[in-house]
Amino acid sequence: MKLTSLFDKGQFVITGEVGPIKGAIHRDKSIEPSCAIEALSLSRHVHAVNVTDNQSAVMRLGSLAASVRLKTNGIEPVYQLTCRDRNRLALQSDLLTAYSLGIDNVLLLTGDHIQLGDHKQAKPVFDLDSVQLIEMAKGLKNGYDISGNNIENNIDMAFGAVVNPNFEPLELQLMKMKKKIDAGAHFFQTQAVYDVKVFENFMNLAQKFNCPVQVGVVILKSPQMGEYMNKNVSGIHVPQKWIDEIGSVAKEDRKKKAAEMTGNFIRDVKSMAQGVHIMPLGWTDVVPDILEQAQIHRSHG
Amino acid sequence: MHATIQKPIHEIVKHIQPGEKVFVVGCNNCAWKCHSGGEDETRMMAKRLSDRGVEVAGFTVPGPQGMSLCKLSHTRKVLMEDYADQVKETDSFLVLGCGQGVHTVIDATDGGMVHPGCDTIFGGETVSDTDIEEFCSLCGECVIEFTGGLCPMTLCAKQLLNGPCGGAENGNCEVDAERPCGWILIYGRLKKLGRLDLLDPYQPPKNHSKWSRPRTLKVSATQATFCSAGERVTVSNQD
Repeated sequence: MKLTSLFDKGQFVITGEVGPIKGAIHRDKSIEPSCAIEALSLSRHVHAVNVTDNQSAVMRLGSLAASVRLKTNGIEPVYQLTCRDRNRLALQSDLLTAYSLGIDNVLLLTGDHIQLGDHKQAKPVFDLDSVQLIEMAKGLKNGYDISGNNIENNIDMAFGAVVNPNFEPLELQLMKMKKKIDAGAHFFQTQAVYDVKVFENFMNLAQKFNCPVQVGVVILKSPQMGEYMNKNVSGIHVPQKWIDEIGSVAKEDRKKKAAEMTGNFIRDVKSMAQGVHIMPLGWTDVVPDILEQAQIHRSHG
Repeated sequence: MHATIQKPIHEIVKHIQPGEKVFVVGCNNCAWKCHSGGEDETRMMAKRLSDRGVEVAGFTVPGPQGMSLCKLSHTRKVLMEDYADQVKETDSFLVLGCGQGVHTVIDATDGGMVHPGCDTIFGGETVSDTDIEEFCSLCGECVIEFTGGLCPMTLCAKQLLNGPCGGAENGNCEVDAERPCGWILIYGRLKKLGRLDLLDPYQPPKNHSKWSRPRTLKVSATQATFCSAGERVTVSNQD
């Protein structure tokens, strides 16, 4: 199921996210990798689950293998594909492979730099940027590769892209967002936002593009995590208010508090967005409470 | 200019065989500016090697200040004529210059054994006597017409051509919080120039065949021919 079919019907699209395991999937098919178990627990509450691609440049199981595993389990994956580790041959080949294996949704992005990960001496590829990647994917949809050669059996997938509402100057992100739409992006998932005003300001400027936007949220689990993200995770700003609030309760009450805080935030911004992308970072069990708090119920596509 | 930095002395010495006679060659242009292979550093290197028991057959920095080691005809004359006696006694050349200079010494000495004394780190602008900074990646296909002269292939850690990733914080790059985001620099410059419109057009992927090594340039007074693996381009400077 392509997410575009939900957006087209005006549904509020809910996606979650899992990170593939650091290792291979067990050959014993009865043993599910933890990312598939997390996705299974999410799947009752969301329309689709993103599968990250060597997230933070940390080497893991391939996002395509994990996406296919989700699909096999009846979960709709959003296969993430980054430019960091592949040149244009590999990117196109992987897109053709993904479509051939039944993937309907792909999130096309630049990727975190290798210096942020666990293989710092690797060669960063970045043969294409994310706009060129989307343009290339559009080519495969229209029947030709990036060199202009015809291909057999075009791909037909929904192309997602990312944008960061926290970015200063925002004008530069909007310029790139427009380029992504012109290149063929069908929907956007934003970087994690914690400030209603930041998202509101962004949407006031982005709604003219008339392209669906899912507001991105990362569940804040502890004050330490907030401080860590502010220091180490680029493009995200966790306001002190959030850090103080999650720190105001005992550890055992933090899931409840996180659900309340995240849910309230989503409730406040949902009218401005066409969906929400929740990044639980392992706290998948909190997602139902977040959605409850946000007064959002998954519609069935 | 080609920025170079000397290899640590223990790394240099460990590749020199016992009894090997070494001739030290510096460069009076780029390596001189980098204090990695000018006259002072070349003389000093000869002493540092001697102090560590290496037999030094001689040393030179061909030509006056400003003369590049990579000018083959000049380097050949200096090594094979001016220093002919010492070079005859030499087993190898330790080159304090860039990789081009190392190869120039191979050519100049008809295939002499060489040791690189420096790491060649980038092509840079001599911003001051103490600072050399990289603004060009020598990619073979200049794209800075639409960026106000600032190169995204060099200033953006991900070499993005259509705008920034989402990773910058406080104007700085996600890779290094001390380094400005190249795209924010480009934006700031174009805004100042009143030319933000230059950022609007889609920029297609780079032609990396122009970047495939090794590349050559054949020049005459009226035209030049650039050859890379996938490209052969001849351009006139007369029409």
